[in-house]
Amino acid sequence: MNAIECDALTRHFGNVRAIEKLTLQVPSGSIFALLGSNGAGKTTLLKLILNLLRPSSGQARVLGGDSAKLRADNFQRIGYVAEDLIQPDWMELSAFIGYHRSLYRSWDLTLESHLRAKFALPEGIAIKRFSRGMRMKAILLSTLCFRPELLILDEPFSGLDPQVRDDLIEGILELTAADSPCTVVISSHDIAEIERLADWVGILAHGRIVLAEPLTELQFRFRRIEVVGPDVRQQMPEPAPAGWIRAEATTPTLIQFIHTQFNTHTEAELRSMFVGARIQSSPLSLRDIFLATSKPSLSVNGLLT
Amino acid sequence: MLPFRIDFHSGEPVYEQVIYAAKKAILSGVLAPGDRFPSVRSLSQELKINPNTAHKVVAALTTEGLLAVHPGVGTVVASGVSGSAEERAQVLVQDTERLVVEASRLGLSEEQLLNAVRKHWRKLNPSP
Repeated sequence: MNAIECDALTRHFGNVRAIEKLTLQVPSGSIFALLGSNGAGKTTLLKLILNLLRPSSGQARVLGGDSAKLRADNFQRIGYVAEDLIQPDWMELSAFIGYHRSLYRSWDLTLESHLRAKFALPEGIAIKRFSRGMRMKAILLSTLCFRPELLILDEPFSGLDPQVRDDLIEGILELTAADSPCTVVISSHDIAEIERLADWVGILAHGRIVLAEPLTELQFRFRRIEVVGPDVRQQMPEPAPAGWIRAEATTPTLIQFIHTQFNTHTEAELRSMFVGARIQSSPLSLRDIFLATSKPSLSVNGLLT
Repeated sequence: MLPFRIDFHSGEPVYEQVIYAAKKAILSGVLAPGDRFPSVRSLSQELKINPNTAHKVVAALTTEGLLAVHPGVGTVVASGVSGSAEERAQVLVQDTERLVVEASRLGLSEEQLLNAVRKHWRKLNPSP
């Protein structure tokens, strides 16, 4: 079952192809990290999924229905957290929470009191006077407490101190640890945090999905390879085989590259390609995988499995 | 509070880092047989990791026989875990492998590596 399915989803703004024939599946129950450089189209994609924008063509299906037909009642099951979204911001915290509580049938009072204690937000001042961290906590509080089946977070951590990030992450994990876990989509630049949180990763570049797969599979197939041996530079294959990126004979005795299709046979293949050389492979951090896949010069073809 | 600490570093899969820390706590005796092992929920919350990852960790340690599920009590350290010298050595497998790889990369011989290890060992355990 997929919580989200995008099929040839396209959105143009004038001549700008913000999202272009994008295909994506987000499995139910996953914590899905959406990574992409600034301007890659992350916010546009999330807004298309939420029916805050209409597609130019193609379709997104959300919790089984066409996103373009999402109505107020569907938003009883879908939560959206973005920085600029907090409304009504002239209210104080208790009134703000009360307002949101009145909107949702599935509001969880136990979770509300637990999160209010954890987040320790100030009472008695208008939310618009809150710091950025406090605002994010308040909006997350107003969203988590109705226990959405699908939670969409657009850059929830940017510009926040580590303590606030930890509080937000613990809040999100309250939902995903439940018996009927919700699906979470997070767009973020804070890749180190995301690496621990996510079990699926999607990378967006120029309005298209470069890859979308389980994090464990991604970390298995991307390896940094070093080939060390006398004269290996002379054995360097030209052009580099499919799946190799950043291949370079750094010195006469060292070849380095990132293998994007590493599997259980790869080391044996490399040993027969470079007879007598030592082959070393080490895993890449999600940050390095992201950087390796989002170079504009890079052909996308070699990365897709 | 969890009975073990993890300084996460990027690159190695989170799952393997948690398994490693938990095994170290069990085999070194920080967690004794019969002690309660943290639930999936508290692993996820305390370490800020994906609940599916936490679940996989507990399942793998149970399959390996290090943890046992007691209905009504939860998951505890299995009674059969002896922490024998051999089992404790298992904890260092990754570090040992890394050391051997680095040494061979530097072109050291087996004897040279063992000498370097011995030198450090004697520094920490001076003979009377």
